[in-house]
Order: sequence, then C-alpha cells, then structure tokens
Amino acid sequence: MSVKIEASEGGMPHDKMLGIGVVGALVCLYIVYLNSLMSTDVFAFFGGLAAVIALWWGTDSIKTLCSYGLGTGVPSAGMISLGSGVIAFLFATKLAGISPLLVPLGCIIIAAIIGAILGFISDKVLNMNIPVMTRMIAELTIVGSLTMLGFTAMISGSFIFTDLIAGSVSFLGMVVTSYAASVIGGCILATIFMLGAIAIQHPFNACLGPNESWDRTQMCALECGFLSMLVVAVMSVAFLSLFAVVISFVISIILWGWSYSEYIKLSKRDAYAWLDSKPIREVGGE
Amino acid sequence: MEEILFGIGISALAGALATVAGAAEDTESDIGSQGDPNSQVQLAPQMGYVHRIYNKAVSGEPPAYGLWVALAAGVAWALMAIQFNAILALVIGSAVAVFVQGVYATTAYLGRTASLAKFEQPVYIDILKSVTSVTMAHAFVAIFATVTMCFLMIEALGHPFPLPLMGIVWGIALGAAGSATGNPFYGKERQYQKYPFGAGLPISASGDIVRYAEAGQRSSIDNGWFTSKGAGPASGICFGLIVFFELWRTILFEPFAAGWGAVIAGVVLIIVFMVIDRYVETWARKTYGPYTEEAAPEEEAAA
Repeated sequence: MSVKIEASEGGMPHDKMLGIGVVGALVCLYIVYLNSLMSTDVFAFFGGLAAVIALWWGTDSIKTLCSYGLGTGVPSAGMISLGSGVIAFLFATKLAGISPLLVPLGCIIIAAIIGAILGFISDKVLNMNIPVMTRMIAELTIVGSLTMLGFTAMISGSFIFTDLIAGSVSFLGMVVTSYAASVIGGCILATIFMLGAIAIQHPFNACLGPNESWDRTQMCALECGFLSMLVVAVMSVAFLSLFAVVISFVISIILWGWSYSEYIKLSKRDAYAWLDSKPIREVGGE
Repeated sequence: MEEILFGIGISALAGALATVAGAAEDTESDIGSQGDPNSQVQLAPQMGYVHRIYNKAVSGEPPAYGLWVALAAGVAWALMAIQFNAILALVIGSAVAVFVQGVYATTAYLGRTASLAKFEQPVYIDILKSVTSVTMAHAFVAIFATVTMCFLMIEALGHPFPLPLMGIVWGIALGAAGSATGNPFYGKERQYQKYPFGAGLPISASGDIVRYAEAGQRSSIDNGWFTSKGAGPASGICFGLIVFFELWRTILFEPFAAGWGAVIAGVVLIIVFMVIDRYVETWARKTYGPYTEEAAPEEEAAA
C-alpha cells in the first residue's frame, strides 16, 4: 500500500509551496476586509485570488498524498478536503463576533486541528498506513476551508457570519432583510463547495500518468481556480454592486484566458505528438 | 383531492424531465468516456493500443454532475435574486455550467493524453474540436432538465430546500444513476465488443478496447450513437423512476403515521425493485450469456 511512486521530478519544494499558499491566501483575505473598513465591495475579487492560491498549493498536497498508489482516490481526496474544510470555515466565520480580523487566521488553525484528527483516524485507526497521511489531510483541510472562505468572500464581499446570513430582497420598492436571500440561507455554499471540491482534485487527476510534469499540473490548478473564480463572479451579481461584479468578472476572465492558453502550450510541449485529423499510429504492431 | 392530483401531475412531469436528463447524462459520459470505462481508455495506450477515444477524466460522474447541476442552480438562483425571469435564469445557469463542463473536459483530455507521451499516444486535437461540443450539447440537456425539475419541486411542490442545495442533491443522484445503469453497457460491452457477451474481462484482455470501427477508426461519437440506443434510455428510466417514486410516495403516503407512511412506502418500493432486478439479471444471463458457472473457465481460456 505505502509504496511511494515519484509523481513528477523537479518543481518547487512542497514546504515552499505551503508557505506561499498560507501567506498568499491570508494576505488576499485580509485585503477583502478592506471592504468593511472602506464600506465598498470592489475588493471582493481578492477572495477569489486567495482561493486560487490555496488551490495551487492544495494540488501539490494531493499529489504528495496520492503518489502512494491512490489512483482512484484523487477525487475522494478533493471531497474530504472541502468536506472537512467547510466545518472549519463555518466555525471561523463565527469568530467575527470577537474580532473580524480573527477569521482568516482562526480558519487555518481550526482546519489544521480538524484535519490532523481526521488524518490520524484515516492513517492509524483505519490502518491505511501512509506516512504523509496525517500531515496532508491536515493541509488539505486548510486548503478546503481557505477555498470556501475565499470564494464566499468573493461572492458576498465579506467573511463575517452575520453578513453571510443576511441577504436583502427588494419587495414593492422596499429593501427587506431576508435569511433565504443570503449566502448561507440560499445555499450558494453548496455550489461553492462543489466548485472547490472539483477544482482541487482535477489538476492532478487530469494530469496523472508517467509523463506528468510539475509546471503543467500547477498551471492546470491555476486554470481550474480562475475558472471557478469566473463563475463565482457571475453568481456574485446577487450580492454585490454591478461595478464590483464587473471588476471581478473582467479580472477572472483575463486570468483564466491566460492560464488556459498557457496550459495548452505546456500540453503541446509534453505531448508525444500534436496531430490534427490523423489516423491511429500503431505502436509495435499487432 | 385536487392537491393530490396536482402533486401527482407534477411528479409525472418531474419524472419525465428526469428521464430525459438520465438519457442525456449517460450518453454524454459515454461519449467522453467518463466514469469507470475511463480506466480502460487510460490503460489502452500503456498496453500498446493507441486509440482515438476521448478521455474525459474529470472525476466520477456523481461529483462531476453534482458540480454541473449545483452550478447551474447557483447561477439561476443568483439571477432570480436580481429579478430575472425564471426560465431565462435556468437557461443561462445551464449554459454557464456547460461552459465549465466543456473547459474541464478539454483540460482532462489534454492532461491525460500528454501524460501518456511515454507510450507514444499522440494528442489528436481534431477529437478535441469535434467531440467536446457533442458532450457539451448532451450535458446541456441533462443539466437543464435536472435544474428545471429541481425548480418544479420547489415552486410547485413546496420543497423547503433552496435551489442550489436541490441541485447538488439531484445532480449527484443523476450522476450515480447514469454511472451505475449506463456505464456497464459502454465499459463492459461496447469497449469489448469482440469478446462474447458477459465473458468478463480477463487480465490479458485489459486495455484491448475496440479502436477500429466498421469502416475506419472508432470515434467517441460512435460510442454515443451506440449507447444512446440501450444504455441512455436505461439510465433515463432509472433516474426517472427514482424521481417519480420519490415524489409519488411522499405525496401519497406522507399524511399516514406522522410522515412514517412515506418512509415505509419507500422501503417497500426498494424491496420490490430488488426482487425485480434479481429476476431480470438471472433471466438475462440464462437467455443471452455464455457466462454460466460451468462454462466460465472455458471462456477465459478461449479469450
């Protein structure tokens, strides 16, 4: 079970990616808080950037975990990441009652604790015996919670629990507060959950194979993240001003277009051949 | 009485939408080789069988459809929140979800195929150009029908869940129905057409999928054409029955025993279907298959 297969050679060391992921996501999330300080919502897209940075790092965590012969376990790793992350995320948004500045940092700490417990159970109690399991599940839980926090911040412009349960509906010209029109009450979280869960597992799942390369997989991670940002920007029309939505949308589409074309270039570089309307080229002969 | 009749009518309509969704979903996943048949498409080049079949390894169908339908529902919900017309919102939501599905499909094909360079499997970009649009079209039908069904349940039957939550629940159910019902037809029969029906898959035949068609080379669109006759409708009936019986039992039996009536009716339905399934399976094996307990070793030796 625990025979390690080297997924790809080269690339950035995992610890450095962890550092960039945590610091980058935290900085972006604190920039979103400027929305509350300056009573605007144009900084919402930084939440999406935080989620993308977290996904970029999480892709490498999944790769490290799944290099222990967990081929079909890649999508499951994405699911457990977001599934455990959502607990930490919801708990952390409640910390805003003490101070809103606690939310991003608290989210990481709570997620690390939950993830370590889950990782310990998978590794020791269920006896999967994978050396990096506890650490990687903890990392994936942090990534999952940061992704939820980031996309939620992008969609509503805030990560404070009281803002997430209060939506506004205009009824006969009057604006009424309504739980059903909020991020949590409208269950937009369900969509964010699936966006994050598929985006975190897809890069390694799509690129695995003997010729998997670090930069192509990571570019795919960025592409998946920016694609999710794009649709989160579309959904944010329900909560943000039109100006903020347009800013989010334009930034997302530029970044997505760039990452998608880069990904195609890297695939072209790595492919055995790049053929258009050519027949099957038999190898070895039958 | 009138309320019950209205409820049954909506159940039938939702069941019909689910049938269309199930059929489209399974055809879509077979065209893209998603779900468990994907493992053979992935394995074939490693065994020396270079092919021109799409390799849409997004994830299992249930999580993937969970995303597509939840996304369509989320976008539709957001647009309805800013007073868009419901039908327009559902169409735009499905279109956005299909765009995301198409992008995921292309990155999966490029990524998986480029990673097989060691086995001399080239990237055929004409496949990318011709097949992706076909899977997207089928996915649109599946997603739109499912989201509309969820919308009907909420608006007409008064289901308490918001649209995105219904989307994730029924999206996963849709993917599971298509994956469980339709995939064996593609993965076990179509990919291994040259082996006898029900022969199983001996290790020596792994990866030896059918790569040449009656004339020329097999494309994934041929697989869609083939599976749309048997596997697609079967998945459609499966998902349609799930949705219809789920709503039907709730509407008719919920007033009994403080809601437990619906639960008991559900358990009874499951038992009835288990008996039917077992009967159909043994009947099909006896009637069509060479695979019987005595003949099994011979079949494997012949293969």
